[in-house]
Amino acid sequence: MKVTLRIQRYNPERDSEPYYQEFIVEAGDDKERILDLLHQVKWKYDGTLTFRRSCAHGVCGSDGLRINGRNRLACSTLLRDVNYKKPIVIEPLPSIPIIKDLVVDMSDFYKKYEAVKPYLVNKSPAPEHERIQSNEDAEMLFESAKCILCGCCTTSCPSSWSDENYIGPAALLKAYRFVFDTRDEAADERLDIVDTPDGIWRCHTIFNCVEACPKDINLTWHISQLKKRVAEREM
Amino acid sequence: MYKHSGSRGSGAPGWVLQRITGILLVVVVIGHYFVMHSDPASGHTYAAVLARMHHPFWKMFDLTFITVGLWHGLNGTWGIFRDYKMKPAVSLTIYGIIILSGIAFWVLGVNTILSF
Repeated sequence: MKVTLRIQRYNPERDSEPYYQEFIVEAGDDKERILDLLHQVKWKYDGTLTFRRSCAHGVCGSDGLRINGRNRLACSTLLRDVNYKKPIVIEPLPSIPIIKDLVVDMSDFYKKYEAVKPYLVNKSPAPEHERIQSNEDAEMLFESAKCILCGCCTTSCPSSWSDENYIGPAALLKAYRFVFDTRDEAADERLDIVDTPDGIWRCHTIFNCVEACPKDINLTWHISQLKKRVAEREM
Repeated sequence: MYKHSGSRGSGAPGWVLQRITGILLVVVVIGHYFVMHSDPASGHTYAAVLARMHHPFWKMFDLTFITVGLWHGLNGTWGIFRDYKMKPAVSLTIYGIIILSGIAFWVLGVNTILSF
């Protein structure tokens, strides 16, 4: 069957602003992925189309895109997940600078991520084998540890759209991941970082991040737990 | 770009108070509705207001209402402005207007309530 892709294009060396270009591609059935169709465009019709992808199986988080107005992974979105009877609109993730076509500049996203110290901090001498954690304590982290850093959440957040300094849900989720890790010793440092005017208080539980997350992480719940932890510490 | 430029004090007290005042407002607004608006004919007459306001309970009720309502509303307004990136001068001006109008309305309201 024929499917029309309406893709946002932008070449900073040539175009003054982004525009849309339509491609009609052939899809075997409705189980084909949007990524397969993008490959078809690039390999058959226009080799200059630029987009990111790596593992192509929903693990690396490289191909976060805005598909029919919703942030998703191109490799995890099947044709039957969207209305393919009409042109499927494919755009780069919103609110961050476009480098070319569907490739966006994630530098700021990663700087915010790094700001919360996304690694285990434990200055006590390492035990002979491993730092033991109970199953219950580990379970508190499982969902937050599923994040693949695709950026679908942060770029779908209205607070991020209006305030570019807002640290964003992805970084806050990572802060939760380590603040609630019983093996970690830097919770206070991280809480200091998120308890700033551009930090956790800019989250107004809008839930766009939850809708956008391709790994079904309830980011708003995790951010709320972090807010409560800050409140308990301060009051 | 995210800058961890140091906090101007924790946002936690404001966040917690916004929720506490929100819960209080649900109670107070429902009470206010039954006293003032469910029967507009009796609620708004000068005699009814005068009789009610001589009672310490209703004075406390209205003092609570104006304090909690102003704080919740203006803190929420500041929260909305704060969601946008502003130049420091603009931010300070808006913050000043919110604080001054809050004080002015609170003094006016308290003065009115205590004059009965």
